[in-house]
Amino acid sequence: MPPAVSKKKYSETQSNEMEASGAMSRSLSILPSPLKEKFPQLPDSPQVTSSQELTSNIVPFCRSPRSSNQKMVGNLFSSASGCPSDLACSSLSPNTSRWMNSPFYSTSPRDGVSFPSTQLSGSVVENNDVPWNVDAIDNFLDLPLNIPVQNGPIETSTGIMGSEHRAKKIDWQDWTDELITVNDDALDSNWSDLLVDVNVPDPDPKLLDLRPGVSTCQPQIHQAHPHPVPSGESCPVIDSPTATSTKARMRWTPELHEVFVDAVNKLGGSEKATPKGVLKLMNVEGLTIYHVKSHLQKYRTARFKPESSEGTSEKKSNSAADITSLDFKTTVGITEALRLQMEVQKQLHEQLEIQRNLQLRIEEQGKHLQMIFEQQKKMEEEKLRASSSNSDRPSHLPSIDEQPPNDKPEPSDDNGATIKDVCIRADEHPSKKETSSETKPCKVRVPDDSGCSPPTKRAKGHETGTSGASHES
Amino acid sequence: MKFGKRLKQQIEQSLPGWQDNFLSYKELKKLVRLISSSSSLSLSEAEFVYLLNNEMEKFNAFFLEQEEDFVIRHKELRQRIERVIERWGPNGTRPSHLEYRKEMAKIRKEIVNFHGEMVLLVNYSNINYTGLAKILKKYDKRTGRVLRLPFIQKVLQQPFFTTDLISKLVKDCETTLETVFPPSEPARKSRAAGMQAAALPPGEGIFRNTVAALLTMHEIRRGSSTYSHFSLPPLNLPDFDVIQSLQLLSPIQIP
Repeated sequence: MPPAVSKKKYSETQSNEMEASGAMSRSLSILPSPLKEKFPQLPDSPQVTSSQELTSNIVPFCRSPRSSNQKMVGNLFSSASGCPSDLACSSLSPNTSRWMNSPFYSTSPRDGVSFPSTQLSGSVVENNDVPWNVDAIDNFLDLPLNIPVQNGPIETSTGIMGSEHRAKKIDWQDWTDELITVNDDALDSNWSDLLVDVNVPDPDPKLLDLRPGVSTCQPQIHQAHPHPVPSGESCPVIDSPTATSTKARMRWTPELHEVFVDAVNKLGGSEKATPKGVLKLMNVEGLTIYHVKSHLQKYRTARFKPESSEGTSEKKSNSAADITSLDFKTTVGITEALRLQMEVQKQLHEQLEIQRNLQLRIEEQGKHLQMIFEQQKKMEEEKLRASSSNSDRPSHLPSIDEQPPNDKPEPSDDNGATIKDVCIRADEHPSKKETSSETKPCKVRVPDDSGCSPPTKRAKGHETGTSGASHES
Repeated sequence: MKFGKRLKQQIEQSLPGWQDNFLSYKELKKLVRLISSSSSLSLSEAEFVYLLNNEMEKFNAFFLEQEEDFVIRHKELRQRIERVIERWGPNGTRPSHLEYRKEMAKIRKEIVNFHGEMVLLVNYSNINYTGLAKILKKYDKRTGRVLRLPFIQKVLQQPFFTTDLISKLVKDCETTLETVFPPSEPARKSRAAGMQAAALPPGEGIFRNTVAALLTMHEIRRGSSTYSHFSLPPLNLPDFDVIQSLQLLSPIQIP
C-alpha cells in the first residue's frame, strides 16, 4: 500500500472517529491530515533494523492544536526503547531511564495535550487546516524534548473497534515503517543531543509534584522541562516564547482552586469575571488562559446547577425526595440508606487504598530485586571473565542452604546469598498483608546459565518456581 | 479472560460517561496474541506499546478532568454547608430548625453521592492499573521480554494512579459528615428500611457501582493459577455477605 494513500485513509478514519467518539474522552487530537503531506517529504533511507537504531532515529511527533507548526510525539519508540533491556542495548539504558522518568505530559509550546472537550473540536479543525512543514521537525528538535502525547488515533473505545481499527492498524504499520526509515544524519545528531538535553536533571521533583502532599500550593503542570520546582504557588516555568499557547494539562489542587475563587470573587463573581482578568489576578506561573477558561466554565456549571453536577439521575428523584423527606419514617429510611451507602463506599475506599499500597510495595520490591539481579549478573559476567574456575560455585550452594533464614547478609562473596537475604528481608517486610498464606517469593529472572542457584520461589507450593531454596520465611 | 469479564461488568455498571474511559483490555490482549515470539522488535510490539501509552493518556485525561470537577464541587459543598449553618443554624441570621434540617438533608445526600463518585474514581484508577499490570504480564510472558517492570514504574507515576488528592477529599467528606451529622441511634433496627431505601433512585447508580466494585475486587483477587509474587493477596472483606446481598437487592440484576 503506497504510503500516501495509507496515510490519507488513516487520517480520514481518525477524523471520523473524532466525531464519533464524542467530546469528553478523547481530548487529544489525532494525527492531522497534514501528516500525509509531510511523509513524502521525508528522506528515504535504508530500513533500520536494529532496535538501537530504532530508538535513536525516532522522529518525534508532537501535536499542537494551536500553533502553526504541527508535530506529534511518537512516544511509541521512547517506550519501546525501554523494553528491550535484554536486547543488548545497554548503551540505551541511561536514555531509556530518562524516558521512563520523564513526566508524561509535554508542555512544550508546540504540544497540545488534552484539553476539555469544548476546546477540542476547535483544535481539531485547526489541525486539519494547518499544513505540516519541514520546519516543524527542525523547530521541534530545538525544543525541549517531550514525551508521549498521543492518543486518539488508534481508537480504543469498544464501540469503534472493528474494521476501522484494523484498517488503522495496517496503516499505522506503514506509518511506523516510514518512521523507522527516517535515518537522517541531521536528525540523528539532534536527537541524541536532545536526549542529553532532556536530561531533566531532576525528573523526580516534577514527578514528585504529582505525589501525595508534596506540593500543596503548586499547580502541577506535567512537563518534560528541566526546571527546578519552585516553592510557593508558582509552578515550573515554561520558558519558551510561545508559553501562552501551551496546552499542558493542569492538575488543579484545592489550594490552586482557592486562589482561583479568590480572584473570581475579587472580580465580581463567576458571571462577571473574565478568564483574562482571573488569569492576571491569580498570577500563577505556568497557568494559561486556557486552563482558566475551562476551569471557569466548570466552576460556573457547578455553582448554578448543583444538583445536575451529580453523576446520577437526580432530577427525577428530587421531587420524590422532597415529598418523602417530610415523612419521618421514610426519612429514617433514607438516612439509613445513606448510612449504608456510606459504609459500602468507605469500605471500597479502604480496600482500594490497601490495594494500592500493596501494589506500590510489590513493584518497589520487584524493582529492587531486578536491580540486584542485574548487579549480580554483571558480577557473574565479570567473574566468568576473570576467573576460569567455575568449580567453586557448586561448593557454595550447600552453604546457602545451611544459612539460617534470618541472617543478615554475610560478608561472603557468594552472590546467591545476597539475593537470598534480600528475599528474606523482602518477605519480612510486608507485615501488613492481609493474608500470610502466600508470601512473596523472590522471583528473579535468572537465566539458567547464571552460576549460582537462583533463589526463586519460596517453598510454599508454587508450581512456577524453579530451583528455589527451601527456606521457611 | 476472567479479568476481562470482570472489567466488562464493571464498565457496564459504571456511571454514564465513564464507560469509554476504561482500559481496552480485550483489544490489548488481542494485540499481544498477535505478537510474534521472534526476538526482534516487531511492529506489532511497537504498536502495543503505542496503544498502552494511548491508554494511559486516556486515563490521565479523564482522571484529571474528574479530579478538577471534584475539587470544585468539594469546595462548593463546604460553602453550602457554611451558608446553611450561617443562615438557618442555631446561631444564624434566621434560625429555623425545619429549613436547616431540610437543607442539610439535601446536602447530606449530596455529600454521600459525592463521596461515592470519588471512591469510584479511585476504583477506576485501580482497575485500570490492574488491567495494565495484567496485560503487561501477558506481554512479557509471550515475548519473553522485560517490558513490564520498567513500564509499570512509569505507570506508578502517572497522575491517574496518584490518587492521593482524591483520597484526601474522600476522607474529608467522611469527616464532614461525622461532624455535621453526628451519628445518632444505632443503625441495626432500621437496617431493613435502609436496605430498601438504598435501592431508591438517588444514589442508585453510585451505590450499585460501588457494591459491584467491591465484589469485583473480591473476585479478581481470589487467586488464580498464575498467582505470582506480583499478585495481590486475596481480599478479606468483613461484610462480604452483606455486600453480596446488597447486590441482589439492586433492582437491575447484574448478569
